[in-house]
Amino acid sequence: VTVARSLWTGSLSFGLVNVPVVMVTAVRDLDLHFRQLHEKDGAPIEVRRFCSKEDVEVPWSEITHSYELPEGDEVLISDEELEAVSPERTRTVEIEQFVDLAEVDPIYFDHPYFLLPASEDDGATRAYRLLAEVMAQTDRAALGRFVMRAKEYLALVRPRAGVLTLTTMRFADEVRPTKDVDAAGQKSHKPTKKQLDAAVAVIEELSTEWDPESYTDRYRERLQDVVERKRKGRTVKAPKPAEPPEVAPDLMDALERTLAEMGSANQ
Amino acid sequence: MPRSIWNGTITFGLIAVPIKVHSATEDKSVHFHQVHAADGARIKQKRICSKEDREVPYKEVAKGYEVGEGEYVMLSQDEIDAAAGERSREIALEEFVCAEEIDPVFNDRTYYLGVGEDGEDAYRLLHDALGRSSRAGIGRWVFHNREYLVAVRSLDGVLVLHTMRFADELVDPGSLEVPEPSRAPGKREIEMAAQLVDSLHGSFDPGAFEDNHREQLLELIERKAKGEEISVPAREQAEPTDDLMAALEASLARR
Repeated sequence: VTVARSLWTGSLSFGLVNVPVVMVTAVRDLDLHFRQLHEKDGAPIEVRRFCSKEDVEVPWSEITHSYELPEGDEVLISDEELEAVSPERTRTVEIEQFVDLAEVDPIYFDHPYFLLPASEDDGATRAYRLLAEVMAQTDRAALGRFVMRAKEYLALVRPRAGVLTLTTMRFADEVRPTKDVDAAGQKSHKPTKKQLDAAVAVIEELSTEWDPESYTDRYRERLQDVVERKRKGRTVKAPKPAEPPEVAPDLMDALERTLAEMGSANQ
Repeated sequence: MPRSIWNGTITFGLIAVPIKVHSATEDKSVHFHQVHAADGARIKQKRICSKEDREVPYKEVAKGYEVGEGEYVMLSQDEIDAAAGERSREIALEEFVCAEEIDPVFNDRTYYLGVGEDGEDAYRLLHDALGRSSRAGIGRWVFHNREYLVAVRSLDGVLVLHTMRFADELVDPGSLEVPEPSRAPGKREIEMAAQLVDSLHGSFDPGAFEDNHREQLLELIERKAKGEEISVPAREQAEPTDDLMAALEASLARR
């Protein structure tokens, strides 16, 4: 068991019940990471921070933040001062509402984390267990807000396999309205009943159970392969872009041919 | 709607649907610059060669993958791009699944699909068929030289595309060590907690939650700009609940 680094420490509050928790990521970074190298000598590149006025290297401890006002003036703000904006939410996720998970469109979901009890203290672990159990039994998810790294997040908390998962969510004003999308909404583009029935038949024919394990990251695999080939001194060439498929002039004809092909494939 | 970030074609069977991809979300975070505390000057990042100890211009930078301690395989951007596979302009929906079956933990980024050239009828057809069957089409999308697993579904009259996380990228909750209490919560405690959940239950209204922090942050910056002193509060940690039963009773009494 690897112990994940805690990204946030605080408490989850539910009415007057407080559960001290630590937050760890629920996503494993499996991407291949590349290091910048100096092409000439193959030595790793180090990124160092310099003061643009004095041109001397600046240690982390001497770096602070500034905000550029519309008029161009800059205001310096320290980490501690940023925390003063919302000290409570910096330390607590207060559950404001419970909702049915099915009602929350996945468009709002951002990053998943786990919340784990911060101590082995009996009171804390019992309160944690109680919250996980009651949410599982009622099939509900909790919504609250909290602040992490000077940004406020809407969070959705729900149990998965007995562990509380916190997913950061987008605020409503961060999701663009769908009405601005050109989606051929005019009546004239509405499919006929026959077309729609045929399209649904194609979809049903291609339907399967959602089995996430069956999809592998082919990009990651290919990249590993590229590294391996290069390591053995082989050359690697980029494939040519593929031609885009043609748009069928007659939709009904394309649907019928698709169904006919599927029919013969199934025999 | 801001301009599209990718144009291409979605296919299912022999039907081709020309589409344009737009971001569905926008970041509204307040952004800061890094500055040197002593003089307020901006911090500039420099790339330094660790061997020669001098600045290296970007055109002399290559990418390396570490295969052993300090041992790198050097790759050009073209070679890395080769991993994208054939740089297809097509997203082929090869399978369809029940949209509700996908746990949202798999959802990564969301995009809206607008209709592409001459694709109105095909767009509407795919949209309506996905809506009627409550299914999502699963395919692969090559974007910025990287291949993504995607799910396409209908929402509020438009087609949306989600990039999806792969199963092996998600930590299995069963692999975590969660400290357990000496005795499980009792029936009475669960009943009372369920009452509390019920009293706080409502339907999901995303607009009801505002990011007040963003505004408060800008206010604080303004106060600071006027030369006001910002008092930094002491860090207070909420007390963990000792008496669970008493806390539940008091919570219910408050409502």
